[in-house]
Amino acid sequence: MSCRLVRRHLGAFVDGELDPASQIEFERHLEACPGCQENLAFERSLRQLTRESIGGVHAPEHLWGRTLHRFDEIDATRAERNSIEARPMHLRHTWPIATAAAAVLIIGGVMGLPESTPYQGAGMLQDVINLHSQALPSDVQAEAPQEVVRYFQGKTPFPVRPAQFEEPGMKFVGARYIRVGTQPAAALYYNHGGRRLTLLVFQSPEIMRNAHRTHVGGRELYYHNVGGNVVTIRQHGGVNYAFFGDLDRPVLFQLAANARVAY
Amino acid sequence: MPRKSKQVEAQRQLFETEARPHLDTLYSVALRLTRSPVDAEDLVQDTLVRAYRFYERFEAGTNFKAWLLRIQMNSFVNRYRRKSREREVFEGPMAMPVGEGVMSRATMRGLTDPVGDAERRLIGQEINRAFDELSDDARAMVMLADVEELSYKEISDIVGCPIGTVMSRLHRARKQLQGSLQKHAVQLGIIDEEDGEFESPIPLEAFRSRKAGKP
Repeated sequence: MSCRLVRRHLGAFVDGELDPASQIEFERHLEACPGCQENLAFERSLRQLTRESIGGVHAPEHLWGRTLHRFDEIDATRAERNSIEARPMHLRHTWPIATAAAAVLIIGGVMGLPESTPYQGAGMLQDVINLHSQALPSDVQAEAPQEVVRYFQGKTPFPVRPAQFEEPGMKFVGARYIRVGTQPAAALYYNHGGRRLTLLVFQSPEIMRNAHRTHVGGRELYYHNVGGNVVTIRQHGGVNYAFFGDLDRPVLFQLAANARVAY
Repeated sequence: MPRKSKQVEAQRQLFETEARPHLDTLYSVALRLTRSPVDAEDLVQDTLVRAYRFYERFEAGTNFKAWLLRIQMNSFVNRYRRKSREREVFEGPMAMPVGEGVMSRATMRGLTDPVGDAERRLIGQEINRAFDELSDDARAMVMLADVEELSYKEISDIVGCPIGTVMSRLHRARKQLQGSLQKHAVQLGIIDEEDGEFESPIPLEAFRSRKAGKP
């Protein structure tokens, strides 16, 4: 190994970024070569001098405070946007809260809610919509449903399984734990021919308030009209199942009606 | 809606806890990139605001510091370098070949063991001067590798280039710094000019393959 080569890569050697074999060869060469030793000592010394003279700068005291102030503004804008979006839905029918379980289906792009009278469940619906539009990363990506079940054990007060669809094009992508309002919830992500579909599993009778009711394929579905979207609700065994995605309304109705949510 | 604000609050708190420890690093890198305390503050604030906005995109479990620095590097490039960027890479110091023996033995010895505080201070000043004369890219490289002591992998994530490119850019930056120190030392008459070994570098790969070819 030549001195020239060693000196060329001395920087990487000091950084500990050479591959192990080269590192050993370099060490062997350096042991026997006073000239390269001198270069190495210099390289190390210069590194330290650089660190001392260039680094060690502290941010001015007021910088963090100034930045927090900007965060406040962002938070305020977010809160405002949320309250505008969550303001109101026009719902004509009132249905009794039959059980604690429901499934929610939102169809179409995500938009703000139309202006109308306030609605208690709107905040929750908005959470559900936000959850879809944010497209948060999955925490568990599993082929086997058992892994998903295990992931949610102890996180949610109800068992969670990825729902099964009759649609062959429906692909389970992943899942994560999330909160809807104060409720622990499971978000299950699906893909249908490139379109995302989110299934939210949670417990909240509140979401059923003022929901419309319909029947698809002999299955009872509830739904909310949310802006240009529709939120379809299905209840099962004390747990709510919420599907929402960028699919057409009849497709989602069909999917929601035929999904095996508990098995 | 108290629920919503609670959620926002929790996220805010989490972000603050994660980001606060890196404030000095961000500022120190920003200061060296912009060369101006005022611009540095703006750059850091921009960086943190952007990071906070896109906090959801941060992949939990990955390197948060590197993520922040990547955002900062992008902000810097977009804001301060948009016009001069390409020209600098192709015509600026980046395009100049860097020899190996840019530092004479005498200078090397002078820098290896500074005697006393006065000499250390003088060398410190010299390094600062030489550093500030470097190109944006070289300053970033020296800052990330030598001052912040990040790995090549982290640097490659931050500046968005392959590790091999990090190696050569860093090498070039360090040689430029040394060349500047050397030149100034000679100009000041601190040391005599000496013949360096101005040879073209041999890539490690070429050496290895040549070696592997031997019986």
